[in-house]
Amino acid sequence: METLSIGHGAGGRLTEELVSLILGRFPGNPVADREDCAVLPGGIAVTIDGYTVTPLAFEGGDIGSLCICGSANDLSVRGAKPLYIALGVIVEEGFPFEDLARFMTSAGEVCRALGIELVTGDTKVVPRGQADGLFLTTCAIGKTGAHPGLGTRNISPGDVILLTSPPGMHGATIAASRYGLKVNGLSSDCAALWPMLETLLPLEGLKCMRDCTRGGLGTVLCEWAESAKVGIEIDETLIPWDEASISVCDLLGLDPLHMAGEGCAAVVVSPEEAEAALELAKNHPLGKRASIIGSVTEEHPGYVGIHTASGGTRLVDKPVGEELPRIC
Amino acid sequence: MNDTRQRIALLSKALDLLTDRPIKVMEVCGTHTVSIFRQGLRSLLPPSLKLVSGPGCPVCVTDQGEIDAAVSLAGINGVTVATYGDMLRVPGSGSSLMNERARGRDVRIVTSADQALEIARNEKTRLIVFVAVGFETTAPSTASVILDAHRDRISNFTVLDLHKAVPPALEALASDADIDLDALLLPGHVSVILGLSPYGFLPERYGIACAVAGFEAEEIMLGLVEVARQIKEGRPRVASLYGQAVRAEGNPFARSLVDRVFEPGDSSWRGLGEIPLSGYALREEYSSMDALKRLDISIRRTPPPDGCSCGEVLRGVMTPRECPLFGNLCNPSHPVGPCMVSGEGSCAAHFRFSAGGDDPWKR
Amino acid sequence: MCLAIPHRILRLFDDKRALASAGPVETEIRVDLVPGLEIGDVVLVHAGFAIERLLEEHGQEIEALWEEVRRMAGTGHE
Repeated sequence: METLSIGHGAGGRLTEELVSLILGRFPGNPVADREDCAVLPGGIAVTIDGYTVTPLAFEGGDIGSLCICGSANDLSVRGAKPLYIALGVIVEEGFPFEDLARFMTSAGEVCRALGIELVTGDTKVVPRGQADGLFLTTCAIGKTGAHPGLGTRNISPGDVILLTSPPGMHGATIAASRYGLKVNGLSSDCAALWPMLETLLPLEGLKCMRDCTRGGLGTVLCEWAESAKVGIEIDETLIPWDEASISVCDLLGLDPLHMAGEGCAAVVVSPEEAEAALELAKNHPLGKRASIIGSVTEEHPGYVGIHTASGGTRLVDKPVGEELPRIC
Repeated sequence: MNDTRQRIALLSKALDLLTDRPIKVMEVCGTHTVSIFRQGLRSLLPPSLKLVSGPGCPVCVTDQGEIDAAVSLAGINGVTVATYGDMLRVPGSGSSLMNERARGRDVRIVTSADQALEIARNEKTRLIVFVAVGFETTAPSTASVILDAHRDRISNFTVLDLHKAVPPALEALASDADIDLDALLLPGHVSVILGLSPYGFLPERYGIACAVAGFEAEEIMLGLVEVARQIKEGRPRVASLYGQAVRAEGNPFARSLVDRVFEPGDSSWRGLGEIPLSGYALREEYSSMDALKRLDISIRRTPPPDGCSCGEVLRGVMTPRECPLFGNLCNPSHPVGPCMVSGEGSCAAHFRFSAGGDDPWKR
Repeated sequence: MCLAIPHRILRLFDDKRALASAGPVETEIRVDLVPGLEIGDVVLVHAGFAIERLLEEHGQEIEALWEEVRRMAGTGHE
């Protein structure tokens, strides 16, 4: 009997299969656009996400801040201001009160900073062994404003790809902690993107945004190329790499283009407004390392290519499953 | 244009000038394969230079029967299998360690043999099976922890020893008329341990040009320039272009540890079959740590999956793209053979990064 | 076939173990495959074990080859 593996949750090709299996059993063709959140009639934006992370607290954040930032970011990248949140808490018997309080404090702090209101919630305590400490689910609700139609379908040849910060920092932080590496200066980029992305919304040439979470920058670009039927070319030397994250990836044999970020967005903008978008992003502390990393092409629809530091060119692909450390 | 790109462009031009006839070069090492793809170097090679990937991915050449044995061991109550992340996805004839982990078996990823021994020290009630794969580079670390376990009488530590030796496999390739290699890019880190002398027979007996190279784009390109030059001049030899790390004599101390623990034994390679004396067998003195003996599991020969051409691909007689399964029936999400599974397998690399040559966009 | 990354030795715990750094990453490594290592040495680390001390110079063969590449394909200087 075929069973689910951890790779089905890693955001790559196996995840697509899992999602198809679920969607195919619902009437109509729900969430067919596969965007980060749904925009309902009236500009109401909704998203839901489950949060499981080991360890629960990491350099730069914890599961509490992550569960708010993550869902709020899914709204923000579609130009929707996050307004309300619903929170589901599944906690394992024996979990310390003190830890739960600490994680809820950090969740509350992010809500306070963004003006998000917690409107409903649920708690379940499950017997020991039935959950890994603490699982959180958040459903975020927001409202679109200046740019209600942001999305993949706007992407067209000639557009420019902007990256707001170094990719893969959250993933590298988690991997380092999981495999026992002590890394000076490495921290998750876990942050709410709304205050920065809000400043981009007045740009008419803004086409599409996506936060580079599970599956990393590589996955976001591949999904864009596939669904918009365009080619994408990026330049390795223009990506604002984080040195510490790269070291972790080198050491464990992981691909930084496949590592998750939690405060890093890729933005597609018309060439005319690319410089303006870069300027706006750089004006915000979260975007101080923003960089234009490539462009959308008519050639090679469906594929993403990277011009490497050596001057060669190769394809970028989605990860297949969980990125595992390798020795060879 | 940055400095690296300029230097690589220079090397690419030199390579073009040096290859006035078609030449076939095999990069033996899987880490070279990945580096070549990841850097997009194939798009910078002259069309007359055909680069084929060799059997230098320890995961790819691990025999199906060996994976089956690891899977069987993981299924025994009280056993914890510890191994490198590379091994988890490799399919045996029925399952993989990844599947077994999903089914609740205790399979753990370690990044060092030392961590596997550490698990044994800390969890006395579990029997630890360290699935030891790798070539000359990795075997010394396994030898070292076996000596530790022996000295400290750690009785719950065992090893499924799948280590393999590179020179006998190179001999098998060199002597195979079908393959017809002009040159070999030799593995840098295996050479750190072995030194240069074990490769002498390649130019001497088979006229194959050889260069030991490092793993940066520039080092790989230099290695290719070197073998192209040897071919043009008609003077094959073993050039050492990884002088920072590789001494002519290798690392004799590491080899002495390996000799204390292992003796040469026959080994079966996926794709290449049984190669005499290409394995490292545990010496009698340490046989109590042999997981197969301890748990009474044997390695059975099983036929490869239907239609799978990994054998031909690993020998460099077929390119991944020439395999009828490539891309449709066999892809990274649903790999049929090991070359599609391993991150450094040549089929996976071709699929993920494109086969390139002059067109990196073709998949 | 074998990933190996240069590390600098920061501290020797005993004759088998050391603290080493690769850029900003600090890890414990085994050093017993390379006798006589000292603090400050740069070693190549594969699967948690130092396998060789790295030298600073690339070696003569590389230098000579670069000479030739420049003569052949270059403009005489970089």
